Amino acid sequence: MWRFKPVKVLLGTVGLAIGVAGVLALREATLSTHEDPEELGEKMELVVHASSKGGEGGQSLDEMVEAQLLACRLEVTSDYTGPIEPLGDGRYRAVLTPSLDLTNRKQFRGCVEDWVIDHVRINVVDLTELD
Amino acid sequence: MKTVTWLAGIGTMLAGGAYMIVSLNRWEWNRALFFGLIVLIAEVGLSTGLVLRRLARLEYDRRSGVDPTIKAILRETRPPAPSRFAWMSEQSRDLNVFITFLVGGGVLISGVAWVVDRVASKTSSPIGEERLARQLEPISYPSGGLLLDDVTVLAQEVPGANDDQIRQLLRRGGRH
Repeated sequence: MWRFKPVKVLLGTVGLAIGVAGVLALREATLSTHEDPEELGEKMELVVHASSKGGEGGQSLDEMVEAQLLACRLEVTSDYTGPIEPLGDGRYRAVLTPSLDLTNRKQFRGCVEDWVIDHVRINVVDLTELD
Repeated sequence: MKTVTWLAGIGTMLAGGAYMIVSLNRWEWNRALFFGLIVLIAEVGLSTGLVLRRLARLEYDRRSGVDPTIKAILRETRPPAPSRFAWMSEQSRDLNVFITFLVGGGVLISGVAWVVDRVASKTSSPIGEERLARQLEPISYPSGGLLLDDVTVLAQEVPGANDDQIRQLLRRGGRH
């Protein structure tokens, strides 16, 4: 026979509230809400640091970075103004135009730091607007 | 071992879930998919373990063939196990009989041993020794030595019969 237990009901309610709040927060964090392009800046500079481990023979770090950055560029509305420049010591620089809004920045950073291409790991060092 | 396995499974699921949420928040879809897969594997493993444990319990109950209610009644009315060493765990303020006998007996035996020792030491006094010498006098050797015959005297010349104590006893007889 079911008995009313206030503590269990309270704990269940709190757990349910936390779960719902968590799902809503995650939904908000992963939702694309783009700004008006006219309010965005002209250019944006991207600096990344890349390292590879156990890559196939004939693959260079340059082309792996280029491949991943080109793939991630397809997820946002901006494009590169020129080639991706190696700065040495595993660092690379590229310029995007137009500038990225907040959602696109998160999406682009997430894609660059994600496991898109095997054997390479890229971390975004800098992603700022150019004056 | 079972506890470690359960903890490892739960830990894997929790850590995988946490990394999955973090990856989702960072828009890292491939990482989120990977950690989601880890969570799924851990969840399936834990669920399988729970189901198997439940089935094993049902199987055990079925094999025992006894009504669980009757088993519970019997278990509740089971007589308490006799404690054969209860006297050792008694927390009483009274003096323990065993300890009393042990200590008292030790003192008593020590006293008796002391009296016996004292009495024994008195029996070996010089007067007692003189009395003993007088009592032993009838069975002592004759002062003039043993009376020897020819066979005994000749026996001293047998090779291997060179005994100093026999020679001392026969010293007064001398060699002929």
